[in-house]
Amino acid sequence: MKNFIAGFIAGTFLLIFGVLIYLRLGLLDIRSGIPVPALTARFLYSGIHASVRRTAPKLQNPLPQTDETLIAGGKLYLNDCVGCHGEPGKPSSDFGATFYPPAPQFPIHGTNYSEAEVFWVAKHGIRRTGMAAQGSSYTDPKLWSLAAFISRFPNLPPKVLEGIQQNAPK
Amino acid sequence: MKKFALGFVAAIVVLPIGCMAYFALGFSQIRADAKPSALETSILQSVVRASVRRSAAVVPNPPAANEDAVLAGGKLYVAGCQGCHGELGGTYEQDRDHFPPVPELPHTGTQYSEPELYWIVKHGIRMTGMSAYGPFYSEKELWSLAAFLRRIEKLPPGMIEKIRTKKTG
Repeated sequence: MKNFIAGFIAGTFLLIFGVLIYLRLGLLDIRSGIPVPALTARFLYSGIHASVRRTAPKLQNPLPQTDETLIAGGKLYLNDCVGCHGEPGKPSSDFGATFYPPAPQFPIHGTNYSEAEVFWVAKHGIRRTGMAAQGSSYTDPKLWSLAAFISRFPNLPPKVLEGIQQNAPK
Repeated sequence: MKKFALGFVAAIVVLPIGCMAYFALGFSQIRADAKPSALETSILQSVVRASVRRSAAVVPNPPAANEDAVLAGGKLYVAGCQGCHGELGGTYEQDRDHFPPVPELPHTGTQYSEPELYWIVKHGIRMTGMSAYGPFYSEKELWSLAAFLRRIEKLPPGMIEKIRTKKTG
């Protein structure tokens, strides 16, 4: 048993030092803008979603479920999110694809996050991705309208998609 | 000896599985509006530096930077970089919304060489907000940006004003 423990400790040290040496020698590829390998992607995305699921409070969207709410959120989306996450009705964002991991293209793929989870991510951001916390820029009600809008992609009513284009904010 | 080997193998198998389970079960903190610990910052920054140094070693030396190149790079910076990296001639504001925080280059400058800066702008840095700009800039533009960034915190007097004027130089 004593030998087993000694071996376990030796293995632990070797593993940690091995990883650190690999990293310190600069052997890790750090380029953005190239596709994430499928296995890595699955691991990353499920890890992120698991953490959001565990952390984000399960709240109901306090705003009325109306087209006006969706249009308000859509205008925010057009203003601040389209650069990376893609514009409704347009091809996917070239800029969003140059991040690692790339920015998800909501207008095309939608999202499997709940409204409360989208709200939480928009407010607090996701570390080690390009996703910045927006809580210092937007109030909670604005972020809730954004969450309502994003979580309805790609099945937004045509009326809403037209509404967000009208007198779009400068 | 047999037991030692068994313990050794157990560690090498169990630890990676444990790490993966930790992430897959959602125990890792992912919110970006927090400050990375000093240990994490020092490890990750040295990892990035080591990887950039190794990758950029094959980048040929830059064309000698003249004032025009620095000026052209400055204009690219104002158009494409300052939204995240800080306004030229602006006040220092600690970034609290990205994790890791975005370096405020006009105040901090950079310790990377011109070929390394060229490489970083072209390829980006994975798992930070730094995307790859290779598809958007020509080689000449990338080199002028590198020349500018190398000098960003100690630009010659009058350069910021010249960069800001609308007339393209």
